Amino acid sequence: MTPLTITSRDAATGPVLEITGDLDYTSAPELRQLLDQLTLMAGQQLVLDLTGLAFCDSSGISALLAARSRAMEQDATVALAAVPANTARILRIVGLDRVFALYPDAAAAVARASVTDLTA
Amino acid sequence: MDIRVRNNVTVTGRADGPVLLLAHGFGCDQNMWRLIVPALAENHRVVLFDYVGSGRADPAAWNERRYSSLEGYALDVLEVCEELDLRDVTFVGHSVSAMVGVLAAAKASQRISRLVMVAPSPRYIDDEGYRGGFSTEDIEELLESLESNYLGWSAAMAPVIMGNPDRPELGQELTNAFCATDPDMARVFARTTFLSDSRDDLKTVAVPTLILECSQDVIAPREVGAYVHSAIPGSRLVTLTATGHCPQLSAPQATAGAITEYLGTAA
Amino acid sequence: MMGCTDQTSEPGGERDAHAADAVFTSLLEDSAEELYEQAPCGYLSTLMDGTIAKINATLLDWLGLEGSQVVGRMRFTDLLTVGGKLYHETHFAPLLQMQGEVSGIALDLKAADGARLPVLVTSKVKTSQQGEPLLIRTTVFDARDRRAYEAELLRGRTAAEEARRQAEEARRQAEADRARLQEALAVLQQSLLPSALPEIPGLEAGSYYHTASPDLLGGDFYDLFALDGKRWAFFLGDVCGKGPQAAAATSLTRYTLRAAALHDPDPVSVLSTLNMVLHERYSSGDSRYCTAVFGVLEHGEDHVSVQLASGGHPAALVQRADGSAEFLPTPGGMLIGVLPRAEFTATRTELRPGDTLLLYTDGLTEARTGPERELYGEEALHAFTAAQPAAGPQALVTALTGLLAGFGDGLDDDTALLALGMPPVSAPAPDSET
Repeated sequence: MTPLTITSRDAATGPVLEITGDLDYTSAPELRQLLDQLTLMAGQQLVLDLTGLAFCDSSGISALLAARSRAMEQDATVALAAVPANTARILRIVGLDRVFALYPDAAAAVARASVTDLTA
Repeated sequence: MDIRVRNNVTVTGRADGPVLLLAHGFGCDQNMWRLIVPALAENHRVVLFDYVGSGRADPAAWNERRYSSLEGYALDVLEVCEELDLRDVTFVGHSVSAMVGVLAAAKASQRISRLVMVAPSPRYIDDEGYRGGFSTEDIEELLESLESNYLGWSAAMAPVIMGNPDRPELGQELTNAFCATDPDMARVFARTTFLSDSRDDLKTVAVPTLILECSQDVIAPREVGAYVHSAIPGSRLVTLTATGHCPQLSAPQATAGAITEYLGTAA
Repeated sequence: MMGCTDQTSEPGGERDAHAADAVFTSLLEDSAEELYEQAPCGYLSTLMDGTIAKINATLLDWLGLEGSQVVGRMRFTDLLTVGGKLYHETHFAPLLQMQGEVSGIALDLKAADGARLPVLVTSKVKTSQQGEPLLIRTTVFDARDRRAYEAELLRGRTAAEEARRQAEEARRQAEADRARLQEALAVLQQSLLPSALPEIPGLEAGSYYHTASPDLLGGDFYDLFALDGKRWAFFLGDVCGKGPQAAAATSLTRYTLRAAALHDPDPVSVLSTLNMVLHERYSSGDSRYCTAVFGVLEHGEDHVSVQLASGGHPAALVQRADGSAEFLPTPGGMLIGVLPRAEFTATRTELRPGDTLLLYTDGLTEARTGPERELYGEEALHAFTAAQPAAGPQALVTALTGLLAGFGDGLDDDTALLALGMPPVSAPAPDSET
């Protein structure tokens, strides 16, 4: 069991949340709470950097979906960066690999968002 | 459970004599009969016991529910009778025990064949058309008395008990010990005694009955004696020249004499 | 000054001593009568029947009575409150008669003006030389202070007992509440699962449900029911989250699947209906999703054909009679209830005698095992299943139940198992049993 820690920073394209530790039934509410307080502008991209994600169960997946809903409410987008293999497998099983934008790391996600911006 | 231990049963007198079962009332224990036992023992087999919650009965056998009604005490009587296989018993009940005897006799007429009621009262609280002598508030006052005397007793006696750990029989030093019961149990017995109404039960009495009343008794005044006498057809009422509620203590000879005379067993 | 005082002190001191003696003598000469009447405690002598024969001034003063009103006219008990009378008759008098003396009994006197005076009473019987009781001597001490103190003690004891009683009561209540809640939860949990699987001719079924916590309703569910004379529907799934909200979503899911199946049993269309219902019901606010496998069984000549679809659920596993095992992949089937329109992937297989179809929730594959608390995983499940003798659904469920028990506290999620299959040929078919 690894305790969940979430650190937040601002990239040019919008907030980046670095999620490390276990995202499960007991800790998922922390992420949901943080999402509620997050300032997100229309057109921004919320990046969830999962480099340090140790474990993610169905409650964790729900929390990721909550992030997606939150972004959509604000006319923003969401991206998952550096999804660990096991979580990627789960996302594949539940078909969410086609719902989330996935990037190898946070930098790629931010860069991709900037490109989209430029082309828009 | 051993009933003899539970109820601190003692048997004395002539082993082949007719059986007298002596039942104490609210307040003390079988010591109440001490002054008349020698006279009765000459021609009777005398059985004494303490109700659970009194005297030296086993406190572990206490059950508040059971002893919150007179039926619970009557059950003690019946269980003592069965344990000793007593038959043709003359049940001598003092005060509230007279009513316990009525209940026991109704349940086990094959064992209890006569009743002697010493200072009986079927109801202590005044009622419409009936004078028992007390009000409900009076009973509350009694409960207070029990409470404060328990405190007084324990404060005064604790050093005596503590100072003599190797003397189980403290004798005279525990001067007030006979009446020193657990206050919680005493409170239940007091409520059961003084708040019950056994007037209807008197009609069920189907065995020969002797009623002994005192000429001056604040607890069971003479009009109550007359009431009991008239409620039990064929009963005999004897008024002892005695003051107080305990003729077996204040007038032991007269009390024992009245009992043996009634039973035709006078020495 | 000093010397002067010293000189005159000798004869003067002698004089002082004489004066002191005189005062002392006069004190000693204070009559016994005076001492009796004015003593700092009450004195009382009664005949054996309680009639007051003598009483001192102190006690009369406390009572507010004249000697003439009392002597020869009243009994000791007449001075007591009614409760005190009862106590006197049931305790005090018997003790006195049995022991000849009683000490320190707390009683209340009733004064002429109705006031109550708490006292401590000690009585002793005076006997003749022949031992005949003659009269009772009684001393009465003012016990207001002591009784107030005792009342305080008593109040303290009563308060402590009351507090203890209340604590006990609260504890009992909490326990009762907890028991009731658990019972309600158990009933609710049962409503999410079939109480017993139906008997299906030529088909065997087995199921198991593990609850991770008796306090939290789980979101796993399964069911098996008849569609018509030839076809049977089954499903198994997992609603995200735990607790009452998850249970409500589970209930909605279960009954939606049942109703949708009766309307159109095609697995993809059943899951699509569920997706629509969940998405609509939970689109705002608290999101609830689920994963599920839904399928239909149909008897063939010598086999049972299975058609199933999955939405985001781990792949079903088939244990073959020949000792192999295979997953039934349904890639791309989406979590149900997230998107307004979702894609589901269908697949099919045939079960022959000895083959068993196993559905499970991720409590099994996500269980942590070993010292490193590794995920158990699908590969281990595949290997375990292949290693079991092909002895039918109930045997497989039994084996898996044993496996789950072996996980101990590594199994921290609810887990549901549903196994369906044709009994092995070697075993007699249930309907051919005699």
